[in-house]
Amino acid sequence: MTHDDSTPAAADATSEADFGGFDHLVESLARWSGSLPQWPPAGRVQAEWQAIEPRLDRARRELSRVLVVGVIGGTGTGKSTLVNALAGQMVTDAGDVARPTTTSPIVVAAPDVDLAWLPVEAMGARVVRSDAAAVANIVLVDCPDPDTQAEPDAAGSPPSATARPSDTNRNRDLLEAVLPACDVLLLVATAQKYRSWIVAREVAAFAPGRPLFFVQTHAARDPDIRADWQRELESQGFTVPRIFRLDGVEAARRAAAGLEPEPGFRDLVAAIDEELVGRAARRVRRTGAVDLTAWFAQQCRGQLEPLRGPVEQFAAGMRAERSRLEGLLATAISAQLRGQRHGWQRLVTDEIVQRWHGGPFATFLHAVSALAALWQRVRPAPGVIGRLVTGGAAAVTTHDTTGWQSVAELGLSEAEVEQSRTVLAGLATRSRIGEPLVGRARVEAARVQPLAAAVLDRTGQWLGGSIARLVADRRGRVAGPLVHWTFELLFTGLFVAVLARAGWSFFYGHLWLGRPVGGTGFLQEALVWLILWGLCLRWGVFALVRRGLDRDIAAVVAGVPAARLVDPLLADFSEAAAQVTEFLDDGDRLAAEAEQMAAALGGPVGGLGRLRAISDRTRVS
Amino acid sequence: MQQMGEPATSAASYAAWAGTVEELCRLFDALCPLAAALGMPDPKPTEWHGALFGKLRGEVARGPFVVAAVCGGTNTGKSLIANTLVGAEISRSVPEAARTRHPVASLPRGSAGDIDLAAVFPGFQPRPWVSDDDALAPVDDDRIMWREDPSGHQAARLVLLDTPDIDGTLRENWRRAELVRNAADVIVAVLTQQKYNDAAVRDFFTSAAAAGKTVLVVFNMVDWPRQRERIAGWLATFTTETGVTPLAVYAAPHDFAAAEAGRIAFHALPELTPDGGTAGPGERLAGCDFDRIKRQAMAGALRVVADPRSGAAAWLDAFDAAAGRWRDARELLSRESRVRVELPTAPRELVWNEIWDWLEPRRSGFDLTVSRVYRVAGQGVMWAARRVGLARSNEQKREDFSAVELGALKQALTDFIERLDDACRRDSLLGEMLGTRLATADRAAWYADLERRHASLPLVSEDYRGFVRAELDRFARENPQLVGWIVTALNAGAVARPAITVGLGLAGAAVVPAAAATAGGLTTLVHHVGDVVVGTAATLAGEGALGLTAVGLKPLLERLFAGWSAERGRILAETLHDVVLGDRLDEIDRLATVAARPEVARARALLAQCSRECA
Repeated sequence: MTHDDSTPAAADATSEADFGGFDHLVESLARWSGSLPQWPPAGRVQAEWQAIEPRLDRARRELSRVLVVGVIGGTGTGKSTLVNALAGQMVTDAGDVARPTTTSPIVVAAPDVDLAWLPVEAMGARVVRSDAAAVANIVLVDCPDPDTQAEPDAAGSPPSATARPSDTNRNRDLLEAVLPACDVLLLVATAQKYRSWIVAREVAAFAPGRPLFFVQTHAARDPDIRADWQRELESQGFTVPRIFRLDGVEAARRAAAGLEPEPGFRDLVAAIDEELVGRAARRVRRTGAVDLTAWFAQQCRGQLEPLRGPVEQFAAGMRAERSRLEGLLATAISAQLRGQRHGWQRLVTDEIVQRWHGGPFATFLHAVSALAALWQRVRPAPGVIGRLVTGGAAAVTTHDTTGWQSVAELGLSEAEVEQSRTVLAGLATRSRIGEPLVGRARVEAARVQPLAAAVLDRTGQWLGGSIARLVADRRGRVAGPLVHWTFELLFTGLFVAVLARAGWSFFYGHLWLGRPVGGTGFLQEALVWLILWGLCLRWGVFALVRRGLDRDIAAVVAGVPAARLVDPLLADFSEAAAQVTEFLDDGDRLAAEAEQMAAALGGPVGGLGRLRAISDRTRVS
Repeated sequence: MQQMGEPATSAASYAAWAGTVEELCRLFDALCPLAAALGMPDPKPTEWHGALFGKLRGEVARGPFVVAAVCGGTNTGKSLIANTLVGAEISRSVPEAARTRHPVASLPRGSAGDIDLAAVFPGFQPRPWVSDDDALAPVDDDRIMWREDPSGHQAARLVLLDTPDIDGTLRENWRRAELVRNAADVIVAVLTQQKYNDAAVRDFFTSAAAAGKTVLVVFNMVDWPRQRERIAGWLATFTTETGVTPLAVYAAPHDFAAAEAGRIAFHALPELTPDGGTAGPGERLAGCDFDRIKRQAMAGALRVVADPRSGAAAWLDAFDAAAGRWRDARELLSRESRVRVELPTAPRELVWNEIWDWLEPRRSGFDLTVSRVYRVAGQGVMWAARRVGLARSNEQKREDFSAVELGALKQALTDFIERLDDACRRDSLLGEMLGTRLATADRAAWYADLERRHASLPLVSEDYRGFVRAELDRFARENPQLVGWIVTALNAGAVARPAITVGLGLAGAAVVPAAAATAGGLTTLVHHVGDVVVGTAATLAGEGALGLTAVGLKPLLERLFAGWSAERGRILAETLHDVVLGDRLDEIDRLATVAARPEVARARALLAQCSRECA
C-alpha cells in the first residue's frame, strides 16, 4: 500500500499555518473556560473543556501516529465480519449463532505498530496482529454493540423477578470505554438497523471531533437504503459525503480465497488508504480537533445563550438599583445641605472675617460670629454633612462609624440598601449567579461596619471637595476689596454720622449756643441703631452668600452618579454582572472564531463525514 | 360477556368486575393531575397504567373481539407479515425503515359497527382506511386506520393490526406501538437474527409476556434452510430474556423478490411449538380459543395492575411518599419563614387621642378644664421648643415615624424573601414551587407594592377608629364601675400629660399581634405568615405612671395599642400574600394534604380486592 499524498503540498502548508491559529484558539478557550468557575454554567463549561482537552492535546502531540478506527454499529450488522475482511483473516468471532457475538473489543494492528500509547488494558481489549494491507497503517478496533445492554432506567418495564442472561451484558459500557481512544469511526448499518435509536444516540455522543465512514453491509441480501440513511444522518446533524455499500461475508470469502475484492469493499479500502494514512492522517486529526473545538464552542454557546437575557436583565437591574440608591443619597444630601443654612453662613463669614483684616464692620462680624459659635457649642450640627459644612473638609476623617446609622443620614438606610440587594439577588438567581460570586441580600453584621465606612469615606471626600469649591466660590463673591470697603463704608458711615452728630451737639450746641449737655442717652440710642445697622449689613452679606445656593447645591448633587458613592454597597453584584457579561461575550467571540475555523476547513473530503450539529432528536441527556 | 368466569355467576361477576375497573379508572383519573402537581412522573408509560386504561377499561367496548397486533423492530417486515395474515395490503411495505407511522386495524367483515375503536385503543383517533399509504402519513396526531377485511377470510372475532416500530429514531412510533400492545390480546412478535436480543425489543416483549398476552413468534428474513438450526438457540435466548411462552413459532425465509411482490412464506417449526402443531400463523390465529385468550389477557392485565411491587399500589405508595415530601416542605417553610417585624413605637398620642375623643362626653367639668389648661400650656412649651430646634412638630414626627415604619416593614420583607430563598435552596420541592417565582418575579415591584399599601394606610384608619370605639364601648358595658376608673386615670393622666407628650418615644417595644391578619383572603396567611406576626401582647412601659395597672384597664389599653400595630403589620402580610407568594401557599397546602384524600384510600381498597381475586 502506498502512502498516497494526494493532498497538494501547498494546501497542507496552509493548514500547518492555520494550526498555529488553532493553537491560539485552544489556549484562549482553555483560559476562558476556567475563568469563572464560581458561576455554575461556567463551571459546567469548564468541566466539559476538561473532558475534551486531553483529546485536543493528544491530537496536537501525536500528529504523526497511526489513526485508530473504531468499527461500530448495532449487533448483527456485520462489524466483526467486516473487520475480518479488512484484516484478511479470522481475527474476531463473527456470525449468527448468538447475539451479541462480540463481547470484548478486538484491536487489529500491523505487526510492527507499537501500541504502547493505546490503553488496551483500560479498554478491556484483546490485540490481534495482522499483516493485511488494509490495516497496515491504521489500527482497527472491533467494538461491542450498543444495543443489547439493558437501559439503566427502561421506563415502564417491570423489574424483572428472575435474573436474565442480559443482566450481565455490559457491551455498551465496554463500547463507551473503547470509543474515547478512537480517532475515526466506521459506522456499520444494515437495512434493519440504520434507523436504530440506541445506535444513533451512542454515535451522537462520540461523533464530535471524530470523522466517520458510513458503511451499509449485507449488500447481498438487503435493498440499497443509502439514500434514506443519508437523509436520516443529515437530520441528525452529519455531513455525509458518501455511504459505502458492501457485503462483508462476500468480502471475507474473496479475501480468504485470494480473489479480486468486490467493488464496495475495494472502494472502502481505497478510501481508508487515501484518507487515513500518512499526511492524510494528519489532516484527519486536525479536522477532528478543529471540529471538536467548534463543537465544544457551539455546545457552550447553546448552553449559555438562554442565560444572556437574564444576565442582561441583571446588569440593567444593577444599574437601576444603583441609581435608585444614588437618588436617595442625592435627595438626602440635598436636603441636608439646604438645611445647613446657618452652617454655610458661618463658614463663609468666618473665612471673610479672617480675610477682612481690621475694619469696624469686620470687627463687628467677628464679635457676632463669636457669639454664634457659643450657641453652636450648645447645639452642634449633627451628622457628617453638618460637620462637613460647619467644620470644613477636615471633619471627614474624624467620622465615627456605627454601622447603618452612620449612613442613614445619607438616605442609605439598612432597609433601602437591603431592598436593592434583595432585588438584585432575585435577578442574580435568574442568571444562576449565587454565592460566592455575590453575597447575601442581607449584609452580615461583620461586613456592615467596613461597608458603611467605605461609603462614608467616599461621600466625605467627594462632598468635602464639593463643599470646599462651593465655599470658595461664595467667598470669591464677597471677599473682594470692593465689597469689603462698600460694607465698611456703609457701616462706618453710620458710625461717623453718630460721631459727627455727637460732636456737632457738643461743640456747636453746647459750647457755641450754650445748650445743656444731652447726657449719654443719645449715645445709647445710637449704639442700638449701630448694632441694628450692623446686623442689617450682615444680613446683606448673607444674602450675597446665599444667592444661588440652591442652584449650586443642585449642581453638586447632580454629580452624585459620577462620583460612584454607593458602589461599595452593591460591589459584589456589579462585579458579578461585569464578570458574567464578559464571560458570555468572550464565549460568543470564541465560538464565532471556532466556527469560522471549522468552516475554513471546507466541505467534506473524500468519503469521510463529520458531525456538524447535534440534533435534538438524539441529543444525549 | 359470557366468557368471563363460570357460566352461573359470570354475568354478575363480570358486571361487578367492570364496575371495579371503571371506578379504579375514575379514581386514577382524579389522582393523576395531583400526581403531576406533586412532581411525580407521568404514569402513562407504566405497565399498570397501560394495562388498566389501555386494556381493562376498553374491554367492555371490545365485546367478543380478540385483538392481535404484529409488532417488532424497524424493517423487520411487520407490514408484509400483517398484510399476509390479513390477506390484503392494509399497510404498505417499503424498503426504507420506520416508515409505518400509524397502526392499521383490519376488522372482520361487517363488524365495523360493533366495535368502538376509540374505546378499545384509548388515545387514538380512528379513521377509515383509504389506501395502503395511510399508515405512512408523517403526521403527529395518534390515529388508527381501520378497514373491514376485503377478502372475508379473517376470523369473525379477530381484529388484526400492523404497528409502527419499537426501536427506531422516532420515539413516537415506540409509544404508539406500546399503546397498541397494551390493548392487544395476541402479539405476533416479528424477530430477526439481528434483532431478537436487542434491549429495546426485549423490553417490549417482556411487558407483553408480563401482561399475559398470547405470543406468536415469527423469525423473519431467515437464511432458509441454512439458519434453521440456529432458530432454536435464538428462540431460547428470546424466551429466557422476555418470559414469553410462544403459542407457536414460525420461520419466514429471506426472499427479497417475494417480499417486493408482497409475498411471504411461513415455515411452521413444530419442534419449537409447544403443541407441536404445524398450522400456519393465519390458521393458528383463526383457530385459537378466543375466550381463553381473552381471559388470559385480562387476568394478566389485572395481575400487572395489582402487582404490589410495580403495579398501581406501588404508584400509590410513591404518591404518598411524594405528598409526604410536600408535608415536610410545608413544615420547613412554616418553621423557617418567620420574621419579626420590628415596628417603631407608635406615636402614642394617636391612640390616646382616640381614647380621649371617646371619653370627651363622659368627663367632669373640672377634669376638662385642667386638661384644657395643660393642653394650652403644653402647646406653648412645644412651640418654643420647636422654634429653638429642640422639638419637632407633630407633622414632622409623623413623617419620621412613617419613614422608620416603612423601613422596618421593608426590612421584614427582605428578611422574609431571604428566608424563602434559603428554604428553596434547602428543599428542592419548594425550590421548584417557589424558586422560579422568587427568581423570575420583579422584586422591585414587591417593594413598590408595600410602599403603595403603606402610603395609602392613614396613621389612624377608620377601621381602627371603629375598633377603638367598639372596644371601649364593650369595656364600658362589661365594666360599668370601671369607667369611673378610666376617668380617674385620665385625670391623673391629665396632670402627667405634658411630660408624656414631650417625652414621646419612650414606650417599650411594640409587638404586633396577629389579630388583624384575618381579613378576607388571608386565611392561609394566618396559618403561615400569620405565625410571623403573632407575638405576646404589647408591654406598655411607662403606663404605670398613669395608674393604669388597675384591673382590666391594662389589657384593654394593650389591646388598643396592639390593634393599632397589627393594622400596620397587616400591610406587610398582604404584600406577602398577594404579591410575593400569590397562590403558592395554597398550592403547597393542597399538595401536602393530598395523601389524605378519600380517592387514595378507596383506590387502595379496590386494588387489595383485585389482588385477592388475582391470587
